[in-house]
Amino acid sequence: MNAFVNVLLRGSFLLLSVIALQPAVLASVDDAQSFALQAAEPYVKQGFQVREDYWGGDLGSGEKKAVRQQLFKGNEYWFWLGTEVDRAKVSVHVYDSDGKLAEEPDGWEKGHFAAAHIIPKTTGSYFIIVSVEQSPEERTHWALVYGFR
Amino acid sequence: MIPFTKCLKVTAVALSGLTLCAQGAQVPQHIDIKQLSKTVEDVVVPLPNEIFGALNKLGAVNWKEHVRSDKGTNFTERPRIALLLGTVIADGFVAVQAEDAPAVKEIGQRVLALAKGIGVGNSITPHAKAIIEAADKRNWEGVRQELDRTQNSVQQAMNEVHDEKLSQLVSLGGWLRGTEVLTSVVTKHFSVDGAELLHQPDLLSYFQTRLHGMPEFKVPIIHEIEDALVQVKPLIDVGNARIPQESVKKINEITTRLGNGIVTRD
Repeated sequence: MNAFVNVLLRGSFLLLSVIALQPAVLASVDDAQSFALQAAEPYVKQGFQVREDYWGGDLGSGEKKAVRQQLFKGNEYWFWLGTEVDRAKVSVHVYDSDGKLAEEPDGWEKGHFAAAHIIPKTTGSYFIIVSVEQSPEERTHWALVYGFR
Repeated sequence: MIPFTKCLKVTAVALSGLTLCAQGAQVPQHIDIKQLSKTVEDVVVPLPNEIFGALNKLGAVNWKEHVRSDKGTNFTERPRIALLLGTVIADGFVAVQAEDAPAVKEIGQRVLALAKGIGVGNSITPHAKAIIEAADKRNWEGVRQELDRTQNSVQQAMNEVHDEKLSQLVSLGGWLRGTEVLTSVVTKHFSVDGAELLHQPDLLSYFQTRLHGMPEFKVPIIHEIEDALVQVKPLIDVGNARIPQESVKKINEITTRLGNGIVTRD
């Protein structure tokens, strides 16, 4: 009986831990998105429509991730990257389908924010490379949003 | 766009093999694309207004002639509702371009009814209200934003109940309707730059892969779309070549046929 109670208690504790931890993990990606949107805010006033959806995940320090995105000639795009980790440094860059850097020179990196600007010369697929350059955390949540006008 | 829950999965494009052609703190001027995974797991499906915006810059478009706000057929099959929902949201973007408030309001109601039909009505109600209110105020930017939010909320709600495939059908429905309108506009007033907006081979491959993963949906229209995409692929996957007027016309015929198939009963 004691053994049964013991197992039940341990099981309940584990279950509660999982339930308690899950929102925290999700909240981190949500937080990263809030920061990405914060970076995008000034551009909305300039007429950029920021998409509701976003890319997100986590990366270790020095790790990169690529996402492929269809862009249209005639539009102008900004990609904004953010993380909730204050002391992290992140970067984002855009390459065309030939692997050539395709972004405008006014992209920027400010600690846990970064942004890349592109006015596509052709319609087609582009690669957006996001990177956590440095971070005090083992894994750093990130979120990437984009806007166009 | 791919929902973030999906992004959390380890479908990461393996960048460990990314060969950077330049070293150091400088941003590499080139990367070796061949080293990147060919997967388009992380593709974001553009909203129709992203394409319409680019189209507008090429010259004035008579958006009113593309507005469609009829109530259409009521379906009970969830895949069909999902496809239709995507096309109706796309119709909302067309109506915004045309600044047609009554059409936008009808579309808002229709979106809500379809979302209810697919079991995600609760998450759409506030957006549908906001669409109608913004249309009343002729706040077109507000309507655009709410349509984007609507699609996002529908897809998130579907993903939460593991209906990712239906969520993908919403995107597909929107893309097909957007492509139908794009090709209609470009067919009437052909320009090389207008035709170039169809250069979306990776997006098309993305949809083909997704459709291939839906054998359980025994709905004829899904198979029709699958077959049609095979026909469309060589017309838009032209590399650096131009997409000719005949191809635009052909794609318009195909997408119009599919569009009719989506809104009408078999």
